[in-house]
Amino acid sequence: MLQFKLVLLGDSSVGKSSIVHRFVKDSFDEFRESTIGAAFLSQTVKLGKHDDVTIKFEIWDTAGQERYKSLAPMYYRNANAALIVYDVTQPGSLLKAQSWVEELKHKVGDQDLVICLVGNKLDLCAEDPNARQVDIDDAQAYAQEKHLLFHEVSAKTGVGVAQIFQEMGEKVYEQKTAESAAAAASRPRKAVNVELQRPSTNDSTTCCA
Amino acid sequence: MGEQRQAMKDTPTTSPSSYCDYSNYSSGFPAHNEEEEAVYDFQAFVTQLKDPRADPILRYTRSFLTNFTTKRDLWTCDEQRKLVDDFKVFAFDKLRLYEPFKSLDSGRLKNAQEGIEKLIMGKLYNQCFSPSLKQRFNEKLDEGHNRDLLQDALLEEKRAEYRFIDPEFLEFPQPLSNRLQKFSQLAGKELSRVNEYKAPRDKMVCILNACRVLFGFLKHSGLANGGADEFVPVLVYTLLKSDVKNLVSNLNYIERFRFAEFLQGESSYYLSSVQGASNFVATLGRESLQITDPAGFEARYRENQEALEVERARIGTSNPTPEIKTDAADTPARTTSPGSVPSEYIRRPLDEATSAIISKFSELFASNGPTADMPQQIQDTSAAADEDAESTRLVQELQNQENKRVLRELHSMFPDMDEELIFDVCEAKKYRIGVCVDTLLTLSS
Repeated sequence: MLQFKLVLLGDSSVGKSSIVHRFVKDSFDEFRESTIGAAFLSQTVKLGKHDDVTIKFEIWDTAGQERYKSLAPMYYRNANAALIVYDVTQPGSLLKAQSWVEELKHKVGDQDLVICLVGNKLDLCAEDPNARQVDIDDAQAYAQEKHLLFHEVSAKTGVGVAQIFQEMGEKVYEQKTAESAAAAASRPRKAVNVELQRPSTNDSTTCCA
Repeated sequence: MGEQRQAMKDTPTTSPSSYCDYSNYSSGFPAHNEEEEAVYDFQAFVTQLKDPRADPILRYTRSFLTNFTTKRDLWTCDEQRKLVDDFKVFAFDKLRLYEPFKSLDSGRLKNAQEGIEKLIMGKLYNQCFSPSLKQRFNEKLDEGHNRDLLQDALLEEKRAEYRFIDPEFLEFPQPLSNRLQKFSQLAGKELSRVNEYKAPRDKMVCILNACRVLFGFLKHSGLANGGADEFVPVLVYTLLKSDVKNLVSNLNYIERFRFAEFLQGESSYYLSSVQGASNFVATLGRESLQITDPAGFEARYRENQEALEVERARIGTSNPTPEIKTDAADTPARTTSPGSVPSEYIRRPLDEATSAIISKFSELFASNGPTADMPQQIQDTSAAADEDAESTRLVQELQNQENKRVLRELHSMFPDMDEELIFDVCEAKKYRIGVCVDTLLTLSS
């Protein structure tokens, strides 16, 4: 099964962990391989668009508190996807989300990194129309400009949550298949060159080439 | 969830059943992690390796080890990583060609791969683990390995500087129960055990155990769904309050020598978390803390500095100060416990069992090898059978010691709990401390 690493970023109050818990909880299958705790979860997604291929997301949660920002690179290195969450009732959290987008674009520098911007707590807007502080058009325009996927969701009610992972799954899968087609043509070797002598056996293969 | 979070802030003592509708998901931690649950039987591997049909595998391994240790005194970190990795790729491939490995099922084959990793890293440990290299090479140590030591020293220094801080300084999102101290102490102890093992996998398991204990605590505090927002501060706190020697060297060693394919998913996540937390501590300053009472903080900071000075003075002037870089690694910034020398911490119970097994079968590595210096080769099959029984007994004995240790730890964690109950849980959970803690917490609540 193809596995993809997904890193979860966003302020500590935006409910990013809840989105993932909602997603994992609503996916009724056996692939719940988190065994130690809730900061790392894995979940499979079936891709209807691609002959029901099943992929697995390994979801890496990060600490949202500003003071732990410096730990983030340990988590997002080698990520295939990033879910950046803000709270539609807190304009400040969108700014923080945008700074994550910038950091990923600069530091990861991987064109293939799939980023999805997600506005959470839609349920609060349904309860009280005045609760919304971030206009959906503004966030969407920003996402478009930066070529991000975009969704508004409610982790509480589950609205929109499954779609995020479905769409990200499709996108990482499409990129992976395109990439492996390209890589099949040429596969560069790693740079460090150390060679030990061939072992004293009659086997013709070298030991440490 | 936002609403529920708010509710939790207001009533920290909310019982686990009512705080969240996701409790179905992680109310019971499944009992396996790939690192811990898979077949892992080093003795079985050694027995397989003794099979005459495995001779090519044995010869490749011997040849690799000889080359690694004799071609050059000191390889750089990158060279070591590549040499070891290339050999593993090569050897794992060869396992599929020769009996008795060839016909093993995938689980047993994985065990054999683990066996190879454990075997070669056991043999090469002193050449690859930075604190051990330090003993042999001192100032001549290469830059990469030296960097490990400097980072170890830096971490210890910072830990000493900020050892007085309270959980509040680290911005926990929820109020924490007063059992944090106990749990983070136990997690710290588990983490310290990385120094007792040579195999990258075994070191990794110590890290997972420590993380599992911390999640046990979060769960106990009504944070069963606690993600990184809760976990990272608890982990940082544990590092600050613990006394893990050579942490950075150990983390880098795991990263370098754990076969990449085995270091994925959950293990990789928790390794990265500990690396991140250790970087955080190593660069800790007032600006990274949540300080609500600056004057009070400064007073405690000064008090700690004075205490440190007294401790350092007591250790004596023979030890250079941490500012002298080349010797920093050997100078415990936290001078309550004198720096342990590698020879002391690389030979501890369980790994001694491994070493014993390897040396019992040292004929494996001596027979017709050019560098054979094993005087007493065992030719007689009955003698070999005795050796088998002997090492089985030894492993059993050491395992019993380890089990007793786990029992002791758990008794002190759960003093009010019936001893027999703790024993039963340990037996049922195979003395895996993290899982035991989790079960006992469930029983005690």
